[in-house]
Amino acid sequence: MIMFILLSTITVKAFDTPNDGGKSITIKAYNVPETVKKALVYRKTEGDTTYTLAGVMSILSYRFMDADSTIKNGKPYYYRVDFYFPDTVISVEADSPGIAYAQWYDKTKTSSLIFLIVFSTFVLVFIQLAKKDPEGLYIRKIPALDAIDEAVGRSTELGKPTFFVHGLLGITDAGTLAALTILRRVAKKVAEYDTPILVTNYDPIVMTASQETVKQAYTEAGRPDAYNEKNIIYLTYEQFGYTAGVDGLMVREKPGAIFLQGYFFAESLILAETGHSVGAIQIAGTTAKEQLPFFVAACDYVLIGEEMLAASSYIGREPVMLGSVKGSDWGKVFLLAIIGIGVAIGTIGSILQSAGNGALMNVFEKILAFF
Amino acid sequence: MHISTNPWVWIAAILTLAIYSFLYKDNPFYKFAEHLFMGLGIGYGAVLLWYNSIIPRLWNPLAHGTSPTRFFLLIPIALGLLSLGIFSRRYSWLIKYPLAFYMGAVTGLSVPVAFEANIFEQAQGTILKHSMFSNPWLGISNIIMFIGVITTITYFYFSKQHRGLLGKSARVGIVYIMLAFGASFGYTVMARISLLIGRMQFLLHDWLGIIK
Amino acid sequence: MGFWDRFLKIDRRWVFLIVWIAVVIPLLKPLGLPTHITPPVKKLYDYIDKMEGEDKAVFLSFDFDPSTMPELLPMGVAVIRHCFAKKIPIIVYGGLYPQGVGMAKMAIDMAKTDFPDIKYGRDYVFLGYVPGLYLVILSIGESIQGTFGNDYFGNRLDTLPLTMSIDNYEKIGIVVDLSGGDIPTWWVAFAYQRYGCRIGCGTTAVSAAQYYPYLQTGQFVGMLGGLKGAAEYEELLVRNGIPTGRRTATIGMDAQSVVHLLIILLIILGNIGYFYVRRRERRA
Repeated sequence: MIMFILLSTITVKAFDTPNDGGKSITIKAYNVPETVKKALVYRKTEGDTTYTLAGVMSILSYRFMDADSTIKNGKPYYYRVDFYFPDTVISVEADSPGIAYAQWYDKTKTSSLIFLIVFSTFVLVFIQLAKKDPEGLYIRKIPALDAIDEAVGRSTELGKPTFFVHGLLGITDAGTLAALTILRRVAKKVAEYDTPILVTNYDPIVMTASQETVKQAYTEAGRPDAYNEKNIIYLTYEQFGYTAGVDGLMVREKPGAIFLQGYFFAESLILAETGHSVGAIQIAGTTAKEQLPFFVAACDYVLIGEEMLAASSYIGREPVMLGSVKGSDWGKVFLLAIIGIGVAIGTIGSILQSAGNGALMNVFEKILAFF
Repeated sequence: MHISTNPWVWIAAILTLAIYSFLYKDNPFYKFAEHLFMGLGIGYGAVLLWYNSIIPRLWNPLAHGTSPTRFFLLIPIALGLLSLGIFSRRYSWLIKYPLAFYMGAVTGLSVPVAFEANIFEQAQGTILKHSMFSNPWLGISNIIMFIGVITTITYFYFSKQHRGLLGKSARVGIVYIMLAFGASFGYTVMARISLLIGRMQFLLHDWLGIIK
Repeated sequence: MGFWDRFLKIDRRWVFLIVWIAVVIPLLKPLGLPTHITPPVKKLYDYIDKMEGEDKAVFLSFDFDPSTMPELLPMGVAVIRHCFAKKIPIIVYGGLYPQGVGMAKMAIDMAKTDFPDIKYGRDYVFLGYVPGLYLVILSIGESIQGTFGNDYFGNRLDTLPLTMSIDNYEKIGIVVDLSGGDIPTWWVAFAYQRYGCRIGCGTTAVSAAQYYPYLQTGQFVGMLGGLKGAAEYEELLVRNGIPTGRRTATIGMDAQSVVHLLIILLIILGNIGYFYVRRRERRA
């Protein structure tokens, strides 16, 4: 009698897993008594006479996703779930076969799409504005920029070279591109002061870009004859090999000013410490947040993360970089507004919920779930 | 004391000591180890690239495979070869094609997940919810975290001079930033000492057999 | 020149020597300092522990090279030992970079010495290097067999009992990534956000600070931070009666503690000296 009741209440449905690339079927059970101990899912294809074990269904959610590598799109699969109760085992077949399909659009990513559109709009609009009037877009001056002239001047007074050490990422990294803009300013200054410069590179393509940048800077300073391609060197593509090479150069050449610009990893403190030990003035700039503490401790001036990108926009006024910095500023304002509104709704909703009205709290939960 | 008889342990120990000799001053032993390391790094990388990528993923499927779809591999090979154009002034423009493909693919793959993993989840974690105040210390901690997030973001706002309320907020932000740097620096001190401890354990246990 | 002037101008090589002595003496004469367990490590341990008896595997990725071996290798050995002891199937992956393969092999060889009944192919599988970085992470979500084809030893994955039944993230209970850089965030971005696979993290102390936001949001189940994290995991194994072999992380923590005290002392003395000299110069 009890078995009859259990059989008549429990239902199992098999359906295509939504919002995926196919080859996956979800099996869900309904009206399962809480006394169930275990639930095993079995699968067979059309024409098969026996079921094979597909997996174990969670007895918390009564849901199982069959993403076995043998599942093919468009083919019907039949499922049976065996529910293990203390005294009995009930087998329930799915009322219809599950057929897997790929979806063109993943609805769970709608929030990402909205944010992508919003942020992209900000950036693209400001890039267009920057192209029309680069001087019209205000970026505050970064204090460390004044130190560039001071550092190169100090190097010249001491009669020592200036070192520019690139980071470890390639030309596609925004920090590396910002470093190249800063290199141009540094190279122009050393050309004016007739100070030797040595640029070390980890990446061969960055080395090529550095050579072009320095050559252009020397030409702008009216000293194309003073440019020496051999001053821009490639060391090695191995992290600590590069570090060892740069350290050796610092100790041997004893530069007056060192610029550590780009994305660094564990070698950052080794480089900064060695630079400090030779008595050089050091200006660092990196988007690697985990390396910033060491630069702050060991260097004289530091461009923290996005300050490096803003500094290069300030120097170069290049529309894409400038527009990106302004666009990301507006993105930050947008994000802060979302957080502020979320906190306000959550707080008021919580107060109202404790007074018996949970409507606003439900809205808050739905907003959180959307993201 | 049980000194190792494994020659590779001896080589590793001697090179370790050669690199550490830099702490006293630059010397030929350090220079030798440095150059050996740099050369080995390039050589090892080249060999790995050849035996782990080019041979199994490109050569073997094309030369010995039977699947008709294996000829699709010629497309990434062609894109890769175009990037060699960087070494020629006349043909350096060819690198734009593989670079464009690479950047498009990377952006398409990483931007949505970056939004989800680094912005949505973190923003959700920042929004103060009722459950965050389940005990007073947790509540205070979450308020401190919330203030830190807001003020740190205002420090990195570049479109206005840091004056007035924005300036005050940015100054609070820089305090939070420096506190975070201090914590990170402390962790790094631990990491660096751990590396030294690891090397000392190698020298004292694996090489000299002094410690158990 | 007064004491503080001499102290501030001390040759750094003396500091190196003092630090070296502070490291070596506790290694030669262990202090036996206790190891306290922190919540991030406990959460990871408990999550893996609860997988005993389930038909899901632990996927352990060695995304580091010898430069971070002292911190991360003990973590790998401890996690493998935990899985061996509880008979939790484990897939050991040589990592997204080729250098990790040697580290993974070393960890397996160190861990299996105390578990003679562990059988390759049934209890654990060792996967080698495959190029592609985060594309490999995505590809594992489709099929492990399709991504790797063979294991490190050349055996086809569709012939090994473990990988015959465990072929994507659906059957992986947790991915534990051991890395000194940003790679754990790749696993979060591609394996967790896209496929819902839970992620645990073993990282160097350098990177540990930046991963607390991920712990707070639940994107990481738990985290082993640096040598201390490895020592805590070893301690948990000992408390639960699991053989740990030579506890390299725990042995190193005595030296770690002594050096930390030394550094705190030097920082305090350095600051006292700095302010004393500055005040004296102002008065003059």
